[in-house]
Amino acid sequence: MILCDTDRKILHRLQSNLPLVSRPFEALSKELGIDEDTIIERIKYMIDNKFVRRLAPIINTQAMGREATLAAIKVPEERIEEVSEIINGYTGVSHNYLRKGKNKDIPYNMWFTMSAKDDEELRSNLKEIEDRTGLVVRSLPTTKKFKIGVKFKIY
Amino acid sequence: MVDKKEDIDLKLIKYTQEGLPVTKTPYKDIGIAIGISEEEVIQRLKNLLETGKIRRLAASIAHRKIGINANAMCVWKVSDERVDEVGKIMAKFEEVTHCYERPTYSDWEYNVFTMIHGYTDEECEAVIAAIKKQTGLNDCVILYSEKEFKKVGVRI
Repeated sequence: MILCDTDRKILHRLQSNLPLVSRPFEALSKELGIDEDTIIERIKYMIDNKFVRRLAPIINTQAMGREATLAAIKVPEERIEEVSEIINGYTGVSHNYLRKGKNKDIPYNMWFTMSAKDDEELRSNLKEIEDRTGLVVRSLPTTKKFKIGVKFKIY
Repeated sequence: MVDKKEDIDLKLIKYTQEGLPVTKTPYKDIGIAIGISEEEVIQRLKNLLETGKIRRLAASIAHRKIGINANAMCVWKVSDERVDEVGKIMAKFEEVTHCYERPTYSDWEYNVFTMIHGYTDEECEAVIAAIKKQTGLNDCVILYSEKEFKKVGVRI
């Protein structure tokens, strides 16, 4: 399964806002010079084949009143699976990765992002993870944002 | 207290967060499903975007699947007075998808975080080299993901 140039052109454009007009894909067809039916068909293809996770509103957790953080833990090698299962069990956890420093050793190896309905719930979930794992969780909430906007260069 | 307006916004987000209908008239179809008019769907989405409650109405891409396989989290040690200046420089790079300042701890001195996505590790590292050159910073650690345990969009 590969993407053709038409797909890539559509995909690149779809990373920015879909026009808020009655026929948004017709509006895109004028921008891209690809007809509406083809755009719809190719988007469906890319969703069905999982090139696109979803075409949907991307929620700003903080503006919705939610609190979020990036948290880091040092997990002993033999407990990685067990601890990752505990962490992933929280619905507020959207990302969880095992990471290693390439040019320097770092004191943590498991990194996850968690959001909760408010600060109290966030703290209590992190505390609960500490209690359930017996490990220290470092919370690194954003103090300043310079960029957020996952748009990839598609070529 | 949740008023009715927010109630409908919440309903709209919950109905669409897994994906908009890919049809000629998606907003009309959403309206039919949740019991409001097409105009109201469009107006509410406009408001949610303007107030920043939704960041974008756009595609989330499975970046690995289209060949963007490298994802480097590069963390930088930056003095407080230079954070704004270097944060802006880092944010200008197309490959830098996220750039944040975060707190430090006794065992953690890196306060500026950049997420860099590229087709290869080398591409990510070329961006890091360019950032070093433009900012004069040298103290950074490149963290590659060794394993992905969970990766989903934020849901409410």
